[in-house]
Amino acid sequence: MANIDDLVTTLAQDAAAVKPAPHPFLLCFQWMGAAAVYLALALAISGPRPDLLDRFHQTWFAAEIAALLGVFIVTSLSTALLAFPDLHQKRRLAFAPVAAFALFVGVMFLAWRADNPPSPLPVHSFECTLSIALMTLLPAAWAFYSLRRFASTHYRLAGSTALLSAFSVGALWLRLHEDTNSIAHLVEWHYLPMLVIGLAGLWLGKVLLKW
Amino acid sequence: MTEQNDNLETLMRRSLAGDQRAYAALLHETTRLLRPFLAKRLSIAGEVDDLMQEILLSIHKARHTYDGNRPYKPWVYAIAKFRLQDHLRVHYSDQLRHALDFDELEEYLLEPVTESLMSYESISGEVDKLPEKQAMILRFLHQDGYTAREVAEKTGMTESAVKVAAHRAYKVLRKKLER
Repeated sequence: MANIDDLVTTLAQDAAAVKPAPHPFLLCFQWMGAAAVYLALALAISGPRPDLLDRFHQTWFAAEIAALLGVFIVTSLSTALLAFPDLHQKRRLAFAPVAAFALFVGVMFLAWRADNPPSPLPVHSFECTLSIALMTLLPAAWAFYSLRRFASTHYRLAGSTALLSAFSVGALWLRLHEDTNSIAHLVEWHYLPMLVIGLAGLWLGKVLLKW
Repeated sequence: MTEQNDNLETLMRRSLAGDQRAYAALLHETTRLLRPFLAKRLSIAGEVDDLMQEILLSIHKARHTYDGNRPYKPWVYAIAKFRLQDHLRVHYSDQLRHALDFDELEEYLLEPVTESLMSYESISGEVDKLPEKQAMILRFLHQDGYTAREVAEKTGMTESAVKVAAHRAYKVLRKKLER
């Protein structure tokens, strides 16, 4: 008990004024803003797919992009909430990515059914996953760097959502850049790797965000 | 109850603004609040104090994640639960690592640990390859001729722990020498 009193005295003496962390919504907007600039820059450099405007008139392409954007927004928000020990007391919102991913899977399933006769498979395969992964590096590094300044009590989950959020930026970029319409290819090389990324995030969260 | 909550939130807001007295009062209040929570989940009083210190340090490290605009208790309990889980995880993994078969242990604790059929010198090379603690215990027991109780006093371990460590070392050595 005496040790605790000593500790309290020491901590109190060390307690200078502290600037509270920004609200998670603000944090999320900052991340999304930076990601939007990054995406715009990447698209400006690599160039959008030639038929992009036409494709947006097709229901399932627009729905896929909207659902992917939804995954990005919700995982960013969830990451921001998970950065706080008490999830900023918005537990339901923190676990919203489950619903966003369910919606995304539903959209992809319907898009796959609508892709009849199936669009031809492109000649490349794993290059897509590699490109997305490379695009993911910078936003992921930034997200983890930001998260380390907080105090997540759900560090594995925070790592996973942070990586998924970064990966969805890469996936959005490639979908808007690459002239591919084969849903089978998209599922296999663009979106299924998200599962691996999610698991890698759990591990990275444990390694980098434990405090 | 609401008044106490208001009080905690006010104390935290003042602490964040750099008021050291408010911060000390808040940490004392937090200790009082968390003690029954931890005591209910941990059986040894010393453990409660150790964990409480870890929690207070964590609160100190994470205080910037509290803005003073939401209830304080859920925030502090989230940190306390997090540290408690960590503590229990380490505690149980430690126990599993040191677990021995009860029958084996009972049988072994009755045996004199300093008696050996083989000379220490003939196997000292193998002893040196053991983990540092086990090697040290065997050296004390067989090279320097101390009893298990004396080794326990020298190393700050309990007598049983010395015997268990020696027993483990014997098992490893036996396996190596049988090869």
